[in-house]
Amino acid sequence: MFNPNKFIEETVKKIKNEIKEETLIAFSGGVDSTVCAALVNKAIGNNLIAVNVDTGYMRKNEPQEIKNLMKKMKLNYRFIEASETFYKSLKGILDPEEKRKIIGETFIRIFENVAKEENIKYLVQGTIAPDWIESGDDFRDTIKSHHNVGGLPKDMNLKLVEPLRDLYKDEVRKVARSLNLIVSEKQPFPGPGLAIRIIGEATEDRTRIVREACDIVEKEIEEAARKKYMELPWQYFAVLLPTKSVGVQGDQRAYGFVIAIRAVQSIDAMTCEFSKIPSNVIEKISNKITNNLGNEINTVVYDITNKPPGTVEWE
Amino acid sequence: MTKIYVVDNGGQWTHREWRTLKYLNIDTKIIPNTIIIDELLKENIDGLVLSGGSPRIGLEGSLGNCSEILDKSEIPIMGICAGHQFIARHYGGKVEPSKVPEFGKVELTINKNDEILKKINNKSIVWESHNDEVTKIPNNFINLAKSENCKIQIIKHNDKHIYGFQFHPEVEHTEFGMQFFKNFIKICESN
Repeated sequence: MFNPNKFIEETVKKIKNEIKEETLIAFSGGVDSTVCAALVNKAIGNNLIAVNVDTGYMRKNEPQEIKNLMKKMKLNYRFIEASETFYKSLKGILDPEEKRKIIGETFIRIFENVAKEENIKYLVQGTIAPDWIESGDDFRDTIKSHHNVGGLPKDMNLKLVEPLRDLYKDEVRKVARSLNLIVSEKQPFPGPGLAIRIIGEATEDRTRIVREACDIVEKEIEEAARKKYMELPWQYFAVLLPTKSVGVQGDQRAYGFVIAIRAVQSIDAMTCEFSKIPSNVIEKISNKITNNLGNEINTVVYDITNKPPGTVEWE
Repeated sequence: MTKIYVVDNGGQWTHREWRTLKYLNIDTKIIPNTIIIDELLKENIDGLVLSGGSPRIGLEGSLGNCSEILDKSEIPIMGICAGHQFIARHYGGKVEPSKVPEFGKVELTINKNDEILKKINNKSIVWESHNDEVTKIPNNFINLAKSENCKIQIIKHNDKHIYGFQFHPEVEHTEFGMQFFKNFIKICESN
Protein backbone atom coordinates (compact mmCIF):
# COMPACT_ATOMS: atom_id res chain seq x y z
CA MET A 1 0.00 0.00 0.00
CA PHE A 2 0.95 3.64 -0.33
CA ASN A 3 2.93 5.05 2.58
CA PRO A 4 2.58 8.87 2.73
CA ASN A 5 5.30 9.38 5.32
CA LYS A 6 7.81 7.42 3.32
CA PHE A 7 6.81 9.39 0.23
CA ILE A 8 7.28 12.71 2.05
CA GLU A 9 10.68 11.69 3.33
CA GLU A 10 11.94 10.47 -0.05
CA THR A 11 10.50 13.40 -1.99
CA VAL A 12 11.91 16.10 0.28
CA LYS A 13 15.32 14.44 0.00
CA LYS A 14 15.06 14.29 -3.79
CA ILE A 15 13.99 17.95 -4.08
CA LYS A 16 16.89 19.01 -1.85
CA ASN A 17 19.24 17.35 -4.32
CA GLU A 18 17.49 18.62 -7.43
CA ILE A 19 16.90 22.28 -6.53
CA LYS A 20 19.53 24.43 -4.87
CA GLU A 21 18.24 27.86 -5.80
CA GLU A 22 15.13 30.03 -5.94
CA THR A 23 12.15 28.33 -7.53
CA LEU A 24 8.61 29.17 -8.56
CA ILE A 25 5.58 27.04 -7.91
CA ALA A 26 2.33 27.32 -9.84
CA PHE A 27 -0.05 27.53 -6.90
CA SER A 28 -3.81 27.11 -7.32
CA GLY A 29 -4.75 26.34 -3.73
CA GLY A 30 -6.00 22.88 -4.69
CA VAL A 31 -4.80 19.68 -3.05
CA ASP A 32 -2.06 18.91 -5.59
CA SER A 33 -0.27 22.24 -5.72
CA THR A 34 -0.70 22.84 -1.99
CA VAL A 35 0.90 19.47 -1.16
CA CYS A 36 3.64 20.24 -3.64
CA ALA A 37 4.26 23.67 -2.11
CA ALA A 38 4.43 22.18 1.37
CA LEU A 39 6.95 19.54 0.25
CA VAL A 40 9.17 21.95 -1.66
CA ASN A 41 8.94 24.43 1.19
CA LYS A 42 10.17 21.71 3.54
CA ALA A 43 13.09 21.12 1.21
CA ILE A 44 14.18 24.63 0.27
CA GLY A 45 12.27 26.96 2.61
CA ASN A 46 11.97 30.57 1.58
CA ASN A 47 13.68 29.92 -1.72
CA LEU A 48 10.24 28.91 -2.93
CA ILE A 49 7.99 31.57 -4.41
CA ALA A 50 4.35 30.59 -4.84
CA VAL A 51 2.60 32.26 -7.77
CA ASN A 52 -1.16 32.33 -7.89
CA VAL A 53 -2.95 33.59 -10.96
CA ASP A 54 -6.52 34.86 -10.92
CA THR A 55 -7.63 33.79 -14.39
CA GLY A 56 -11.10 35.29 -14.10
CA TYR A 57 -12.42 31.74 -14.33
CA MET A 58 -12.30 31.11 -10.60
CA ARG A 59 -15.22 30.12 -8.40
CA LYS A 60 -16.97 32.49 -6.02
CA ASN A 61 -14.60 34.05 -3.45
CA GLU A 62 -11.82 31.74 -4.57
CA PRO A 63 -9.04 34.33 -5.16
CA GLN A 64 -9.44 35.65 -1.63
CA GLU A 65 -9.50 32.16 -0.14
CA ILE A 66 -6.28 31.25 -1.94
CA LYS A 67 -4.58 34.41 -0.69
CA ASN A 68 -5.60 33.50 2.85
CA LEU A 69 -4.25 29.99 2.38
CA MET A 70 -0.89 31.23 1.10
CA LYS A 71 -0.64 33.55 4.08
CA LYS A 72 -1.63 30.79 6.48
CA MET A 73 1.02 28.49 5.04
CA LYS A 74 3.55 31.31 5.41
CA LEU A 75 4.48 31.01 1.75
CA ASN A 76 6.55 33.61 0.01
CA TYR A 77 3.92 34.46 -2.64
CA ARG A 78 2.93 36.59 -5.61
CA PHE A 79 -0.70 37.09 -6.57
CA ILE A 80 -1.36 38.00 -10.17
CA GLU A 81 -4.68 39.34 -11.38
CA ALA A 82 -4.92 38.38 -15.04
CA SER A 83 -8.66 38.07 -15.78
CA GLU A 84 -8.59 40.48 -18.71
CA THR A 85 -5.67 38.66 -20.34
CA PHE A 86 -7.46 35.33 -20.10
CA TYR A 87 -10.87 36.63 -21.25
CA LYS A 88 -9.22 38.31 -24.21
CA SER A 89 -7.17 35.26 -25.19
CA LEU A 90 -10.29 33.07 -25.25
CA LYS A 91 -12.42 35.49 -27.24
CA GLY A 92 -14.10 33.66 -30.12
CA ILE A 93 -12.51 30.31 -29.19
CA LEU A 94 -14.98 27.42 -29.21
CA ASP A 95 -12.91 24.25 -29.40
CA PRO A 96 -12.16 22.68 -25.98
CA GLU A 97 -8.63 21.59 -26.91
CA GLU A 98 -7.82 25.04 -28.26
CA LYS A 99 -9.19 26.59 -25.07
CA ARG A 100 -7.08 24.33 -22.88
CA LYS A 101 -3.91 25.01 -24.88
CA ILE A 102 -4.40 28.79 -24.86
CA ILE A 103 -4.96 28.71 -21.10
CA GLY A 104 -1.86 26.55 -20.58
CA GLU A 105 0.28 28.90 -22.62
CA THR A 106 -1.12 32.04 -20.96
CA PHE A 107 -0.28 30.57 -17.55
CA ILE A 108 3.28 29.78 -18.64
CA ARG A 109 3.91 33.25 -20.10
CA ILE A 110 2.85 34.75 -16.77
CA PHE A 111 5.15 32.41 -14.85
CA GLU A 112 7.99 33.20 -17.26
CA ASN A 113 7.54 36.91 -16.59
CA VAL A 114 7.74 36.41 -12.85
CA ALA A 115 10.74 34.10 -13.30
CA LYS A 116 12.52 36.69 -15.42
CA GLU A 117 11.97 39.41 -12.83
CA GLU A 118 13.30 37.16 -10.09
CA ASN A 119 15.96 35.48 -12.20
CA ILE A 120 14.54 32.00 -11.65
CA LYS A 121 14.95 28.87 -13.78
CA TYR A 122 12.72 26.28 -12.14
CA LEU A 123 8.96 25.87 -12.11
CA VAL A 124 7.37 23.37 -9.72
CA GLN A 125 3.97 22.03 -10.74
CA GLY A 126 1.54 19.78 -8.90
CA THR A 127 1.11 17.52 -11.92
CA ILE A 128 -0.35 14.12 -10.99
CA ALA A 129 -0.68 10.88 -12.98
CA PRO A 130 -4.04 11.49 -14.71
CA ASP A 131 -2.76 14.88 -16.01
CA TRP A 132 0.00 13.39 -18.15
CA ILE A 133 -1.86 10.18 -18.93
CA GLU A 134 -4.87 12.00 -20.37
CA SER A 135 -2.75 14.64 -22.09
CA GLY A 136 -1.31 11.86 -24.26
CA ASP A 137 1.97 11.74 -26.17
CA ASP A 138 3.40 10.05 -29.26
CA PHE A 139 2.16 6.82 -27.84
CA ARG A 140 -0.98 7.52 -25.85
CA ASP A 141 -4.14 9.05 -27.26
CA THR A 142 -4.96 12.57 -26.09
CA ILE A 143 -8.20 12.50 -24.12
CA LYS A 144 -7.84 16.13 -23.04
CA SER A 145 -4.79 18.37 -22.81
CA HIS A 146 -4.34 19.20 -19.16
CA HIS A 147 -3.17 22.80 -19.00
CA ASN A 148 -0.06 21.87 -17.02
CA VAL A 149 1.08 19.15 -19.45
CA GLY A 150 -0.51 19.10 -22.90
CA GLY A 151 -1.16 22.84 -22.68
CA LEU A 152 2.49 23.79 -22.16
CA PRO A 153 4.04 25.76 -25.02
CA LYS A 154 6.94 24.03 -26.78
CA ASP A 155 9.25 27.00 -26.38
CA MET A 156 8.94 27.47 -22.63
CA ASN A 157 12.04 28.64 -20.79
CA LEU A 158 11.46 27.09 -17.41
CA LYS A 159 12.71 23.77 -16.16
CA LEU A 160 9.86 21.70 -14.73
CA VAL A 161 9.92 19.89 -11.41
CA GLU A 162 6.91 17.65 -10.79
CA PRO A 163 7.25 15.69 -7.55
CA LEU A 164 3.72 14.17 -7.66
CA ARG A 165 3.80 12.76 -11.21
CA ASP A 166 3.28 9.16 -10.14
CA LEU A 167 0.51 9.81 -7.64
CA TYR A 168 -3.26 9.79 -8.00
CA LYS A 169 -5.57 12.09 -6.06
CA ASP A 170 -6.32 9.57 -3.30
CA GLU A 171 -2.61 9.27 -2.62
CA VAL A 172 -2.07 13.05 -2.73
CA ARG A 173 -4.85 13.38 -0.15
CA LYS A 174 -3.05 10.89 2.10
CA VAL A 175 0.09 13.01 1.85
CA ALA A 176 -1.98 16.15 2.56
CA ARG A 177 -3.48 14.56 5.68
CA SER A 178 -0.06 13.51 6.82
CA LEU A 179 1.14 17.11 6.40
CA ASN A 180 -1.98 18.40 8.21
CA LEU A 181 -3.00 20.58 5.30
CA ILE A 182 -6.52 22.02 5.53
CA VAL A 183 -7.10 21.46 1.82
CA SER A 184 -6.76 17.67 2.09
CA GLU A 185 -10.45 16.96 1.39
CA LYS A 186 -11.12 19.78 -1.07
CA GLN A 187 -12.86 18.71 -4.27
CA PRO A 188 -10.77 18.85 -7.46
CA PHE A 189 -11.07 21.94 -9.65
CA PRO A 190 -9.51 21.98 -13.11
CA GLY A 191 -6.70 24.44 -13.85
CA PRO A 192 -8.57 26.02 -16.78
CA GLY A 193 -11.32 26.68 -14.25
CA LEU A 194 -14.81 27.71 -15.26
CA ALA A 195 -13.63 28.24 -18.85
CA ILE A 196 -14.11 24.52 -19.48
CA ARG A 197 -17.44 24.48 -17.64
CA ILE A 198 -18.83 26.72 -20.35
CA ILE A 199 -19.32 24.77 -23.55
CA GLY A 200 -18.15 26.91 -26.45
CA GLU A 201 -17.01 30.49 -25.99
CA ALA A 202 -16.13 31.29 -22.38
CA THR A 203 -17.26 34.92 -22.23
CA GLU A 204 -17.18 36.96 -19.05
CA ASP A 205 -20.95 37.05 -18.96
CA ARG A 206 -21.33 33.28 -19.27
CA THR A 207 -18.64 32.89 -16.60
CA ARG A 208 -20.78 34.91 -14.21
CA ILE A 209 -23.73 32.55 -14.84
CA VAL A 210 -21.81 29.31 -14.45
CA ARG A 211 -20.01 30.66 -11.36
CA GLU A 212 -23.36 31.30 -9.69
CA ALA A 213 -24.68 27.86 -10.74
CA CYS A 214 -21.51 26.12 -9.46
CA ASP A 215 -21.88 27.93 -6.17
CA ILE A 216 -25.47 26.72 -5.79
CA VAL A 217 -24.55 23.12 -6.65
CA GLU A 218 -21.64 23.15 -4.18
CA LYS A 219 -23.61 24.65 -1.31
CA GLU A 220 -26.68 22.44 -1.73
CA ILE A 221 -24.72 19.22 -2.12
CA GLU A 222 -22.48 20.00 0.82
CA GLU A 223 -25.53 20.72 2.95
CA ALA A 224 -27.20 17.49 1.85
CA ALA A 225 -24.03 15.55 2.68
CA ARG A 226 -23.84 17.21 6.10
CA LYS A 227 -27.43 16.18 6.77
CA LYS A 228 -26.55 12.63 5.64
CA TYR A 229 -29.00 12.65 2.75
CA MET A 230 -26.17 11.52 0.52
CA GLU A 231 -22.46 10.81 0.40
CA LEU A 232 -20.31 13.80 -0.53
CA PRO A 233 -19.34 13.21 -4.17
CA TRP A 234 -15.76 13.27 -5.44
CA GLN A 235 -16.57 16.28 -7.61
CA TYR A 236 -19.79 18.27 -8.09
CA PHE A 237 -20.45 21.30 -10.25
CA ALA A 238 -22.50 22.94 -12.99
CA VAL A 239 -21.84 23.20 -16.72
CA LEU A 240 -23.30 25.90 -18.93
CA LEU A 241 -24.60 24.68 -22.28
CA PRO A 242 -25.03 27.43 -24.85
CA THR A 243 -28.21 25.79 -26.10
CA LYS A 244 -31.40 27.71 -25.65
CA SER A 245 -34.72 26.40 -24.53
CA VAL A 246 -38.12 28.03 -24.16
CA GLY A 247 -39.55 28.52 -20.71
CA VAL A 248 -42.37 30.38 -19.03
CA GLN A 249 -41.43 32.56 -16.10
CA GLY A 250 -43.96 34.91 -14.45
CA ASP A 251 -46.46 34.52 -17.31
CA GLN A 252 -43.75 35.58 -19.73
CA ARG A 253 -41.89 33.68 -22.35
CA ALA A 254 -38.28 33.05 -21.40
CA TYR A 255 -35.55 31.86 -23.74
CA GLY A 256 -32.38 31.01 -21.85
CA PHE A 257 -29.42 28.67 -21.63
CA VAL A 258 -29.27 25.18 -20.14
CA ILE A 259 -27.35 24.19 -17.00
CA ALA A 260 -26.16 20.61 -16.57
CA ILE A 261 -25.42 19.35 -13.08
CA ARG A 262 -22.53 16.90 -12.81
CA ALA A 263 -21.59 14.94 -9.69
CA VAL A 264 -19.41 11.84 -9.67
CA GLN A 265 -17.90 9.31 -7.28
CA SER A 266 -14.32 8.26 -7.82
CA ILE A 267 -11.09 7.31 -6.11
CA ASP A 268 -8.54 8.37 -8.69
CA ALA A 269 -10.48 10.17 -11.47
CA MET A 270 -9.56 7.39 -13.92
CA THR A 271 -12.96 5.73 -13.58
CA CYS A 272 -16.03 7.47 -12.18
CA GLU A 273 -19.64 6.65 -11.43
CA PHE A 274 -22.25 9.40 -11.51
CA SER A 275 -23.58 10.21 -8.02
CA LYS A 276 -27.10 9.18 -7.18
CA ILE A 277 -28.29 12.52 -5.81
CA PRO A 278 -31.64 12.11 -3.97
CA SER A 279 -34.51 13.70 -5.92
CA ASN A 280 -35.41 16.21 -3.20
CA VAL A 281 -31.84 17.51 -3.24
CA ILE A 282 -31.64 17.76 -6.99
CA GLU A 283 -35.03 19.46 -7.10
CA LYS A 284 -33.82 22.10 -4.66
CA ILE A 285 -30.72 22.71 -6.77
CA SER A 286 -32.84 23.03 -9.91
CA ASN A 287 -35.22 25.52 -8.27
CA LYS A 288 -32.41 27.62 -6.90
CA ILE A 289 -30.60 27.80 -10.20
CA THR A 290 -33.65 28.79 -12.24
CA ASN A 291 -34.87 31.25 -9.59
CA ASN A 292 -31.53 32.93 -8.92
CA LEU A 293 -30.53 33.16 -12.53
CA GLY A 294 -33.94 34.35 -13.76
CA ASN A 295 -34.43 34.36 -17.50
CA GLU A 296 -30.81 33.45 -18.17
CA ILE A 297 -31.44 29.79 -17.34
CA ASN A 298 -34.72 28.00 -17.69
CA THR A 299 -33.68 24.37 -18.06
CA VAL A 300 -31.61 22.27 -15.69
CA VAL A 301 -30.54 18.72 -16.55
CA TYR A 302 -28.58 16.07 -14.68
CA ASP A 303 -25.68 14.21 -16.28
CA ILE A 304 -25.98 10.46 -15.66
CA THR A 305 -22.86 9.30 -17.54
CA ASN A 306 -20.06 7.23 -16.01
CA LYS A 307 -16.39 7.53 -16.96
CA PRO A 308 -15.79 5.80 -19.30
CA PRO A 309 -17.47 6.60 -21.65
CA GLY A 310 -17.76 10.18 -20.31
CA THR A 311 -15.10 12.19 -18.50
CA VAL A 312 -15.59 14.27 -15.35
CA GLU A 313 -15.49 17.75 -16.86
CA TRP A 314 -17.40 18.13 -20.14
CA GLU A 315 -14.46 19.65 -21.95
CA MET B 1 10.68 -9.87 -4.28
CA THR B 2 8.58 -11.02 -7.21
CA LYS B 3 9.27 -9.04 -10.34
CA ILE B 4 6.44 -8.31 -12.77
CA TYR B 5 6.80 -5.60 -15.41
CA VAL B 6 4.12 -3.74 -17.33
CA VAL B 7 4.61 -3.49 -21.09
CA ASP B 8 3.15 -0.14 -22.12
CA ASN B 9 1.02 -0.25 -25.24
CA GLY B 10 -0.24 3.30 -24.70
CA GLY B 11 -3.30 2.58 -22.56
CA GLN B 12 -5.06 5.06 -20.30
CA TRP B 13 -4.70 2.63 -17.41
CA THR B 14 -1.14 1.31 -17.93
CA HIS B 15 -0.03 3.32 -14.90
CA ARG B 16 -2.91 1.88 -12.86
CA GLU B 17 -1.54 -1.62 -13.60
CA TRP B 18 1.81 -0.45 -12.26
CA ARG B 19 0.11 1.00 -9.18
CA THR B 20 -1.86 -2.19 -8.50
CA LEU B 21 1.29 -4.33 -8.68
CA LYS B 22 3.13 -1.87 -6.45
CA TYR B 23 0.34 -1.99 -3.88
CA LEU B 24 0.73 -5.77 -3.89
CA ASN B 25 4.45 -5.40 -3.05
CA ILE B 26 5.67 -6.43 -6.47
CA ASP B 27 8.93 -5.14 -7.90
CA THR B 28 7.50 -3.44 -10.98
CA LYS B 29 8.32 -1.00 -13.74
CA ILE B 30 6.61 0.31 -16.85
CA ILE B 31 8.56 -0.54 -19.99
CA PRO B 32 7.87 0.56 -23.59
CA ASN B 33 6.61 -2.13 -25.96
CA THR B 34 9.60 -1.41 -28.19
CA ILE B 35 11.90 -3.01 -25.63
CA ILE B 36 14.36 -5.58 -26.98
CA ILE B 37 13.26 -8.95 -25.70
CA ASP B 38 16.75 -10.27 -24.94
CA GLU B 39 17.43 -7.29 -22.69
CA LEU B 40 14.12 -7.84 -20.96
CA LEU B 41 14.86 -11.51 -20.30
CA LYS B 42 18.19 -10.60 -18.70
CA GLU B 43 16.29 -8.89 -15.88
CA ASN B 44 14.94 -12.19 -14.53
CA ILE B 45 11.34 -11.15 -14.39
CA ASP B 46 8.65 -13.47 -13.08
CA GLY B 47 5.77 -12.21 -15.18
CA LEU B 48 4.54 -9.58 -17.62
CA VAL B 49 1.40 -7.54 -18.10
CA LEU B 50 0.64 -6.39 -21.65
CA SER B 51 -1.34 -3.18 -21.22
CA GLY B 52 -4.23 -1.89 -23.26
CA GLY B 53 -3.66 0.69 -25.94
CA SER B 54 -5.19 3.50 -27.90
CA PRO B 55 -8.23 2.77 -30.07
CA ARG B 56 -8.14 -0.01 -32.65
CA ILE B 57 -4.57 -1.10 -31.96
CA GLY B 58 -5.92 -4.52 -31.02
CA LEU B 59 -7.51 -4.86 -34.44
CA GLU B 60 -4.39 -4.40 -36.52
CA GLY B 61 -0.82 -3.26 -36.08
CA SER B 62 2.06 -4.92 -34.36
CA LEU B 63 1.96 -3.59 -30.79
CA GLY B 64 5.73 -3.02 -30.76
CA ASN B 65 7.66 -6.15 -29.86
CA CYS B 66 4.77 -7.91 -28.15
CA SER B 67 4.89 -10.70 -30.74
CA GLU B 68 8.47 -11.48 -29.93
CA ILE B 69 7.75 -11.22 -26.23
CA LEU B 70 5.03 -13.86 -26.56
CA ASP B 71 7.23 -16.13 -28.69
CA LYS B 72 10.41 -15.94 -26.70
CA SER B 73 9.50 -15.62 -23.04
CA GLU B 74 8.37 -18.53 -20.94
CA ILE B 75 7.05 -16.56 -18.00
CA PRO B 76 3.34 -15.98 -17.23
CA ILE B 77 1.79 -13.19 -19.27
CA MET B 78 -1.45 -11.32 -18.72
CA GLY B 79 -2.83 -9.23 -21.57
CA ILE B 80 -5.41 -6.55 -20.88
CA CYS B 81 -7.87 -5.12 -23.45
CA ALA B 82 -5.75 -4.41 -26.56
CA GLY B 83 -3.07 -6.66 -24.99
CA HIS B 84 -5.67 -9.45 -24.72
CA GLN B 85 -6.85 -8.88 -28.29
CA PHE B 86 -3.27 -8.98 -29.50
CA ILE B 87 -2.65 -12.31 -27.75
CA ALA B 88 -5.74 -13.73 -29.47
CA ARG B 89 -4.56 -12.52 -32.89
CA HIS B 90 -1.00 -13.67 -32.32
CA TYR B 91 -2.11 -17.24 -31.68
CA GLY B 92 -4.48 -17.36 -34.65
CA GLY B 93 -7.76 -16.09 -33.22
CA LYS B 94 -9.85 -13.29 -34.65
CA VAL B 95 -10.54 -9.73 -33.45
CA GLU B 96 -13.36 -7.65 -34.93
CA PRO B 97 -15.21 -4.44 -34.14
CA SER B 98 -17.78 -5.13 -31.42
CA LYS B 99 -21.41 -5.17 -32.47
CA VAL B 100 -22.13 -3.49 -29.15
CA PRO B 101 -19.01 -1.90 -27.64
CA GLU B 102 -18.75 -1.81 -23.85
CA PHE B 103 -17.79 1.28 -21.84
CA GLY B 104 -17.97 1.44 -18.07
CA LYS B 105 -19.91 -0.87 -15.78
CA VAL B 106 -20.63 -4.44 -17.01
CA GLU B 107 -21.61 -7.69 -15.31
CA LEU B 108 -19.10 -10.49 -15.79
CA THR B 109 -20.17 -14.14 -15.63
CA ILE B 110 -17.57 -16.82 -15.09
CA ASN B 111 -18.03 -20.03 -17.12
CA LYS B 112 -15.26 -22.25 -15.79
CA ASN B 113 -13.00 -22.73 -12.79
CA ASP B 114 -9.38 -21.71 -13.00
CA GLU B 115 -6.58 -20.57 -10.72
CA ILE B 116 -6.82 -17.05 -12.19
CA LEU B 117 -10.42 -16.90 -10.89
CA LYS B 118 -9.83 -17.97 -7.28
CA LYS B 119 -11.93 -16.10 -4.69
CA ILE B 120 -13.88 -14.32 -7.41
CA ASN B 121 -17.68 -14.55 -7.45
CA ASN B 122 -19.38 -16.17 -10.43
CA LYS B 123 -21.07 -12.87 -11.17
CA SER B 124 -19.28 -9.61 -10.51
CA ILE B 125 -18.98 -6.02 -11.71
CA VAL B 126 -16.10 -5.18 -14.03
CA TRP B 127 -15.34 -2.02 -16.00
CA GLU B 128 -14.73 -2.05 -19.71
CA SER B 129 -13.61 0.32 -22.43
CA HIS B 130 -13.39 -1.28 -25.86
CA ASN B 131 -14.57 -0.86 -29.42
CA ASP B 132 -13.28 -4.23 -30.64
CA GLU B 133 -13.33 -7.74 -29.23
CA VAL B 134 -12.08 -11.28 -29.74
CA THR B 135 -14.64 -13.06 -31.91
CA LYS B 136 -12.78 -16.33 -32.40
CA ILE B 137 -10.60 -17.92 -29.72
CA PRO B 138 -7.28 -19.28 -30.98
CA ASN B 139 -6.71 -23.03 -31.00
CA ASN B 140 -5.28 -24.21 -27.74
CA PHE B 141 -7.05 -21.46 -25.76
CA ILE B 142 -10.24 -21.64 -23.69
CA ASN B 143 -12.73 -18.94 -22.73
CA LEU B 144 -13.36 -18.52 -19.01
CA ALA B 145 -15.90 -15.69 -18.78
CA LYS B 146 -18.47 -13.64 -20.66
CA SER B 147 -20.72 -10.58 -20.43
CA GLU B 148 -24.08 -9.83 -22.01
CA ASN B 149 -22.61 -8.18 -25.10
CA CYS B 150 -19.18 -9.77 -25.30
CA LYS B 151 -18.90 -13.53 -25.12
CA ILE B 152 -15.11 -13.73 -24.80
CA GLN B 153 -13.94 -11.89 -21.69
CA ILE B 154 -11.09 -14.00 -20.29
CA ILE B 155 -9.00 -16.37 -22.38
CA LYS B 156 -6.37 -18.83 -21.22
CA HIS B 157 -3.73 -20.84 -23.05
CA ASN B 158 -4.11 -24.58 -22.43
CA ASP B 159 -0.43 -25.29 -21.78
CA LYS B 160 1.22 -21.96 -21.02
CA HIS B 161 0.45 -19.36 -18.38
CA ILE B 162 -0.89 -16.86 -20.89
CA TYR B 163 -4.10 -15.02 -20.07
CA GLY B 164 -6.14 -12.35 -21.80
CA PHE B 165 -8.66 -10.04 -20.12
CA GLN B 166 -11.05 -7.95 -22.19
CA PHE B 167 -12.15 -5.90 -19.16
CA HIS B 168 -9.89 -3.88 -16.87
CA PRO B 169 -9.00 -5.53 -13.55
CA GLU B 170 -6.64 -2.62 -12.78
CA VAL B 171 -9.30 0.06 -12.31
CA GLU B 172 -10.76 0.94 -8.95
CA HIS B 173 -14.37 0.26 -9.99
CA THR B 174 -13.77 -3.39 -10.98
CA GLU B 175 -15.13 -5.30 -8.02
CA PHE B 176 -12.49 -8.06 -7.73
CA GLY B 177 -9.76 -6.14 -9.57
CA MET B 178 -7.06 -6.65 -6.94
CA GLN B 179 -7.96 -10.34 -6.61
CA PHE B 180 -7.35 -10.99 -10.33
CA PHE B 181 -3.87 -9.52 -9.87
CA LYS B 182 -3.27 -11.52 -6.68
CA ASN B 183 -4.17 -14.70 -8.56
CA PHE B 184 -1.86 -13.78 -11.43
CA ILE B 185 0.96 -13.03 -9.00
CA LYS B 186 0.47 -16.44 -7.40
CA ILE B 187 0.74 -18.06 -10.82
CA CYS B 188 3.95 -16.12 -11.49
CA GLU B 189 5.39 -17.10 -8.14
CA SER B 190 4.68 -20.80 -8.55
CA ASN B 191 5.85 -20.96 -12.15
